[in-house]
Formats: sequence, C-alpha cells, structure tokens
Amino acid sequence: MAKELHTYKAGPIEQVVMPGENVGIWVNKTYEFYKVDFVEPITRSDPVTIDLGALAALAQSNVVQITLLQMPDLEFAQLRMEALDDVSIILYQGRADQRHKLQNVVSTITRFNPLYDPCGHQTEFYEFEDNYIFLQATNQTAYALTQARVVFWGFRYVLTYQPNYNAKGQQPDVWTRIPATAHL
Amino acid sequence: MSTQLIPRGIRKSSAIITIAAANVAQNLFLESVGPTVNRTVILRKIFAYSNIGNVTITIGIGLAPLVAIIPPFYVLNTLDMQLTENEIPEVEVFANLTVQATILGCMVQVEVEEVGS
Repeated sequence: MAKELHTYKAGPIEQVVMPGENVGIWVNKTYEFYKVDFVEPITRSDPVTIDLGALAALAQSNVVQITLLQMPDLEFAQLRMEALDDVSIILYQGRADQRHKLQNVVSTITRFNPLYDPCGHQTEFYEFEDNYIFLQATNQTAYALTQARVVFWGFRYVLTYQPNYNAKGQQPDVWTRIPATAHL
Repeated sequence: MSTQLIPRGIRKSSAIITIAAANVAQNLFLESVGPTVNRTVILRKIFAYSNIGNVTITIGIGLAPLVAIIPPFYVLNTLDMQLTENEIPEVEVFANLTVQATILGCMVQVEVEEVGS
C-alpha cells in the first residue's frame, strides 16, 4: 500500500507529494496546476530563523513581511514554524488575511505549542513564489523582550506549469491541494 | 517517593534577587500577563545564598503582606541552599512570586513553570 501523504500531517514533517505528481496550488482564489519536478528539505537552521525585534512588555509588533522566505518562480515551500521566545505569533498570507482563524478570533503560535504538538504539524503552511507570509508578534510577558524569534523548516518543491489543466475545466486524475494563500 | 515530571508549561527563571531590606517583601518572579486567559506559575527550583549571616527566607505572593506558598527555609551563612522540584510542593499560583528574608544582602533565584497558552 502506498504511503499516505497529505497536508498538515501529524508527525515529523514529510513531503506532501512525490516528484512527478500533480499539485493544485490555491492562489488568486483558484487552483493552478503544476507538476512537481524536484523536492528537497529546508533544514531548521539559522538562515531560516527570523527575529521580529525587541518588544516592550505586552507590546505588539507591526505585521512584518517575511521576505526571508521568498521562493523563486515556479517553486513553493511547505514549512512549519516554532516561536523561540515568549511571544504569540499570528500568521498572515496576504497582509490582511490571517490564517488559523475562527469567526471571531485568530489562534496563535506560542512557546506552548511544542508541548502538545512536538512535530509542529499544526503550524504547517505553504508559500508559493513571492506570495509572502506576514507575521505579527505580541509579547506575552510583563517585561521587555529583546528579541522575538521564529524558526522554520520544511521542503521546497520545484514545479512545471500545467497549462492544460484549470479549476473549472479539465483536471489531473490525481492531484494534491496546496493551500498556499488565505484568500477565500 | 517519585515525582512525575510531565511538562505542563514552559520553564523560566527569575533574575538573581538580592534582598534589599530585612523583612520587607520584594518581587521575585513576574508572572506573564499578556495572554487573554491568565497563566499560572508553579515554583520548581530555588537557589539561595548568604554570606552575611544565617537567614530565614520566605517565598510567597503579595508584597504587603507576603503570603507564603511554601514554609520558610533556613540558609546557613556561606552555604548555598538548593531545592529542586522533587522537594518542593507543586504549588500553582496566579500572581507574581515575592520573597522576603530576615537579613538584607542574601540572594535568591527561582525556576518556575508557567502554565497557560
């Protein structure tokens, strides 16, 4: 039986598709179709760690565009993240589009997440080309923090556009949905 | 006796607090107040030292008065005193931790576990 791959899968991060398989990437409020040519890991490391800056007690940062994670054309990234300092993090995909939201509130990522989600699968998100993510940090403590760090890890996927497929017309027999933006 | 040390929260430590005045409470660890729903604090480890005489130290909540959350403990002059989580009751409070001592100049530091989200 083939191993099941899917988005937000619990456990240590795995790629969501194999090379040669098709993905539909949700951007511009529709699925665009691509074939995956190549996959490689993005290791949890210093170059993919961002510091959202010093925060006074209870202070909130601006909504910061994370250009650090920009992907080249025809590539997307599957990433998980962890807050390293005692801040709560809100993820945006599109500066005004929050992820992880309910009707009235938005759930956040904090230092507590690894307690019940050690693999970070609930923090997983997808970024296509230069459809940047944005982060906003809030100091949870009663004292100033000198830094608000977030670290990322995951996979990058190199793609070939499949112009013959579209969401309202012909689609591949098998394809994986990649929720790369929050535009709904 | 064994203690199950399953993490319930995140670990933090206080600064090294030097007692500024005898028998006057002062802040030891500031509880985080950012979350909408309050966090609580569990005292996990205590490290105390005095080189200005034997001293009785009390850890609690509140400044005037300090309400003890564990019994006072005695620190002999020039002998460091350490209590680890196996030796401390799992007292969980929703407040800043405070400390007072019978002489000024002794030092206290604690490690806590903050429970919340």
